[in-house]
Amino acid sequence: MEIPYVVTPRKDTGLFNSKIAIWLFLASEVMLFGGFFSAYVFLRLGADYPWPERTLPVLPGLINTFVLIGSSVTVVFAWASLKMRQWRRFQFFMGITVTCAVVFMALKGVEYSVKLKHQALRLNDYSIVEGHLAYELKDGVEAHHGEQPKADDYALNHKGKKIEENQIYVETSKLTFDLRRFYQPWIEEINNQVGHRDAKIVLAQDVTAVTQEKQAPETLAKAGEPLSVDLLKKIRKAHLAAAAHNSRLRTAALRKEWKTAKAAHPGEADWKYASSVNIDTKALEPLLLTEIPSVAFNVDPPARLEFRPRDIQEAAGKSTLRDGTVVEGALQASPMGFHYVDAIDFQYLVMKAVEKGIDPEIAIEESWLYKNHQFVRDAWTWHRGEIEKLKARLLKGYGTDKDGKPKREPTHKELYRMGWEDFARMAEDNGRAKLSGMDALGEHFFGPDYDARGNETFPHLVVPREQVGFSAKFSPAWNTYYAIYFIITGLHGIHVIGGALVLAYYLFFGRKMYLSNPEWLANRVEIGGLFWHFVDLIWIFAFPILYLM
Amino acid sequence: MADTPEAIKKSIRIYLTVGGILFLGTIITVMVATVPWMDVGQHGFDKWDCILGLAIAATKASLVAAIFMHLNHEKKAVYWLFGSALVMVCSLSFLTALGMFDPIHDPLFYGKESKTPKILASPTLR
Repeated sequence: MEIPYVVTPRKDTGLFNSKIAIWLFLASEVMLFGGFFSAYVFLRLGADYPWPERTLPVLPGLINTFVLIGSSVTVVFAWASLKMRQWRRFQFFMGITVTCAVVFMALKGVEYSVKLKHQALRLNDYSIVEGHLAYELKDGVEAHHGEQPKADDYALNHKGKKIEENQIYVETSKLTFDLRRFYQPWIEEINNQVGHRDAKIVLAQDVTAVTQEKQAPETLAKAGEPLSVDLLKKIRKAHLAAAAHNSRLRTAALRKEWKTAKAAHPGEADWKYASSVNIDTKALEPLLLTEIPSVAFNVDPPARLEFRPRDIQEAAGKSTLRDGTVVEGALQASPMGFHYVDAIDFQYLVMKAVEKGIDPEIAIEESWLYKNHQFVRDAWTWHRGEIEKLKARLLKGYGTDKDGKPKREPTHKELYRMGWEDFARMAEDNGRAKLSGMDALGEHFFGPDYDARGNETFPHLVVPREQVGFSAKFSPAWNTYYAIYFIITGLHGIHVIGGALVLAYYLFFGRKMYLSNPEWLANRVEIGGLFWHFVDLIWIFAFPILYLM
Repeated sequence: MADTPEAIKKSIRIYLTVGGILFLGTIITVMVATVPWMDVGQHGFDKWDCILGLAIAATKASLVAAIFMHLNHEKKAVYWLFGSALVMVCSLSFLTALGMFDPIHDPLFYGKESKTPKILASPTLR
């Protein structure tokens, strides 16, 4: 079948068909991204926390902008080459375009992974700590200050991965699993943990159930059987079969009741006698099977189990996991341990203090971090000195207005946030780790070089659980800025991948069409190019908005 | 429309120029945001930085649309399609923006200080 209007324009539109199609698609794309950009504006205007201004490293974003603009130029050249029937030139420029797309996504990948490994914590007093969490060590291994633990000192989870020091510890004596909802990986993890602690998890009592109608109860599992996913699945099977059987019986009984009732009340509205239609539960009783909604296991001897904070609702004596598992036992101190802290941010705390009419300086000095960590006190003292210097610089550079006030003043962020660059400068001022030019440049790309600068620059910090207000990685969960950042850049990234796939298809599989109908291929490349320019267009707005403002 | 090989050859120079302007525009945007003596308005980010940054971005975007996407010489149908999408985005954003004038944001609406976060609550946005 011949496709019409792939080369010649249609009379009514004046365009070849695929061009109309791509513009229709781009119109819908404008609506899509327009929605997210306006979401950004409204989220920012309505933010009830200090908006993270210029928080992303500019360098990777800038390079990505260059890469994308460059590819936009080369894709036009590729199209022009086809129009001039220069296949080799087309291959060259399209090759560059696709390479640019790969580079762009690689940089984006680096940026995302740095974000998703970076921990943020908001304390109850609204001061914020950023950095990297420490990893759990095996029981009995002591962390020596200033000494890196050896590779086999770390505790591992059931997948063999290190565990971040952000866990809720429960000295567990009893676990009750919800048979419908239990989550298999957690069972494996719990078994893994008790294995390390020389304890056993065993069934608290025999599980007996009637599994056949009018039969004697049979024992499904004996007390003392060890916890396993298979055992839970076996009991769950019996439970689900019983539940299904019982509900079938109840439905049948109710249906029978209704039939009788309807016969007794001919012509009357249902609702008038509905309250008298009831199942005779006594008669049904002997036919029902035993449902076993949950089973309890003893931990013998009671052992410390660790749960991720987001998985557990902790309470003294009886905590609940998200899958309905009830964990009985005493809560233990569950501090959050940072291996490297790379920012202390008082902006939010100051905002809250000002709302209450408290002096920011006093609020900071009353904060838990300031009171409990010498490093924070030292850093704050140093930071205040730097702010004085900055004020003097601004005064010298820009002078005062007619009221005698300085024309330019430090920003809220400069005043109340100490970022990794401040920590690095502070350490260098104190004659500690200094990095060479190249390594320092690398830091502006990949983030601070923790290992080279060490704990003297980026200190350890332990925050007790009761001080923890909210914690998250720099993921969409952390705040609305990161939510919209990930949505816009993620959606844009998907477009880059899609566009690059189409352009790569023309590059690698276009030769045949070029030989038979070069104008058709040129039109296709133009369409692909239009999409590619649109992707560039989105980035032209996304870059300043997300990275610079 | 630059469809003949000769016309395309001529427009290649324009494409290069536009590419150059896009690079330059990006550098200026970054400098406005990061280099103190290029910083307009207040010290740090403020509305003038915002306006300037968006103005440069809008210029760059128009150049891409006009030259690379050939919107400077397209058929009417394309203008209608793309134009109506832009109009729709603007009007929908405007409708959302009307929410900002919702009396619920007015602290005196209920006769007492409302607990709703005030618009422009962010202390960093002046």
